[in-house]
Amino acid sequence: MRDHLPVILFLVPFATAICLPMVGLKARTWCRPLALASLVVMFVLAIVNLLLVQEHGKQSYGLAGWMPGGDPTLGIEWVNDHLASAMLVAISFLAPLCLLYSGSLTPTIEKHRVVPYYTLILLLISALTGIVFAGDIFNVFVFLEVAALSAYALVALAGGRALIAAFRYLILGTLGSTFYLLGVVFFYATTGTLNMAEMNQQFIASPELLHSKAVVGGMTFLFLGLGIKMALFPLHAWLPGAYTRAPDAISPLLAGLMTKVALYGCVRILFWGLAAGKLLEPVPALTLLGRLGMLAALAGSLLALAQQELKRMFAYGGISHIGLILIGVSQTNQTAFAGSMFYLMNDAIMQAGLFFIAGAAILHHEARTVTDLPRLRQSPWLVAAFIVLALSMIGIPPTGGFFGKWHIILGALEAENYLATTAIVVSTLLTMAYFQRLFLRIFGHSEVVPDSAKGPLALPVKLAVGLTAMLVVVLGLCSGPLIGFFRLTASAAGL
Amino acid sequence: MSEPIQVALNEALERPNLIAFVVLFLCGFFVMTTNSNMIKKLIGIYLLQTSVLLLLVTIGVKQGETSVPILTTDHIKSPETIVPADYVNPLPHVLTLTAIVVQVATLGVSLALVAAIYRKYGSLDENEVLQKIE
Repeated sequence: MRDHLPVILFLVPFATAICLPMVGLKARTWCRPLALASLVVMFVLAIVNLLLVQEHGKQSYGLAGWMPGGDPTLGIEWVNDHLASAMLVAISFLAPLCLLYSGSLTPTIEKHRVVPYYTLILLLISALTGIVFAGDIFNVFVFLEVAALSAYALVALAGGRALIAAFRYLILGTLGSTFYLLGVVFFYATTGTLNMAEMNQQFIASPELLHSKAVVGGMTFLFLGLGIKMALFPLHAWLPGAYTRAPDAISPLLAGLMTKVALYGCVRILFWGLAAGKLLEPVPALTLLGRLGMLAALAGSLLALAQQELKRMFAYGGISHIGLILIGVSQTNQTAFAGSMFYLMNDAIMQAGLFFIAGAAILHHEARTVTDLPRLRQSPWLVAAFIVLALSMIGIPPTGGFFGKWHIILGALEAENYLATTAIVVSTLLTMAYFQRLFLRIFGHSEVVPDSAKGPLALPVKLAVGLTAMLVVVLGLCSGPLIGFFRLTASAAGL
Repeated sequence: MSEPIQVALNEALERPNLIAFVVLFLCGFFVMTTNSNMIKKLIGIYLLQTSVLLLLVTIGVKQGETSVPILTTDHIKSPETIVPADYVNPLPHVLTLTAIVVQVATLGVSLALVAAIYRKYGSLDENEVLQKIE
């Protein structure tokens, strides 16, 4: 059982996704409980997997048992290590929560679209699982495409203006994956392998390979493609539109997971494929990514400050956080790496939580823009969770956001990279500024607020919002052992 | 013509597949970015993807007389008689096949999306659709 856990984890949502259209044909009401059940099962399995990996260490799984001579690198290798299993727990925790939350919002999705809706969510989750496990760069491409295709369709489900946003997302996303594939071609042509571990060994054996034109070109295209996928600042154009126009039930899932998993793929290829932790040759690439990260951290929060629409503001906040994590990754020391991986998990939860709140504000109070925010006063539960999440976004203890940012700053100081430290601090101040703007609206003086609430908050919404807010605090309080855990992943990355 | 240019030209002409790839890639990029018609955009992106696939297939080719790796029973009985240099590298072909499937799926989704936009707004031009929304 343990040997096949990675593939079982993938198959649980995937098989359900295949079955759902058939079940939906007979009984549409069955789709939701079935999808929810499979994601809960996946969450339990992911936790079991995390514990097993902690106990037995890294596992490399040859897909379909095809590993000639016991060497999975010749076939399709799935790597089930500390980082992958932790990422998987984050994915499989957020997924059922998003599904639970979306229950009260399903009226916004038309009746006949219920079946494709649940099928696409499950496909998206199984594709993300694939990206997390994939041990070779071509499989990352395939799963990136599966995830992206489901995401395009999910964004378009809202109809109307979402169609245009989805089309733009599709054009840029396809461009990104084509660039990525081109990078893969260059890497394959130079090294003759697609497997990250094998590539790693080759680069360590002959570091001058990393200076060859083909590898430099391949790296450029690979990271250009991944940059589009993770909405790195100058390449972020698709994200705000897609997340703003997507159905309110979908944007938490996309905001929490899509860009983070692309970033995870980027880290995997950098450290496990290109041996960025062990060699000096990939350092220019890391420096460039770090610089772009600084730009993204500043520009993202600056643009967030200028937004009127709530969802759009949070989307730009997410863009700035991608930059923060990249700064941490590019410092090439354990502290910053552990901090940024911890921040990655936190950010997934914070982003999902913020979009939960934005969705609930739209559904219950028709509050789409900053000026509508005073209406939120009628839902103390929502505002309380909002405050906690905002504290974490800004980075104030005892929330998880603080400890992640703290370690990234410590790592940047350790690397004597004062520019990066300044960028993080300034972006924090800007983040504070835009949340200040929101809270001034909520608590500040304003004319008498008309009673806008459409009944009390539904229980699933309360649960989703409350759980995410609680979790960022819990993550902050447990940050010690968690950072220790991510330090382990950093040493596995060769730092 | 000066010496270095001639050398560079000769080197480039030795790899016509790369020239074909670059030309197709740039054509696709140009078509995709300059047209506001959504179907034309899709044609551009399809061309772009196909150019990458072309590059992927051509890197599997080896010098000399090579053929498709079809093994006979004699080969399987005694694997040491197989000479890898006699065959085209089959892995890029397999990758291409997978990438084509991905490409077709993308095209399917994008055409469905364009059809939905056309039904809703009665136009295929992105600027026109944006005007209608506002």
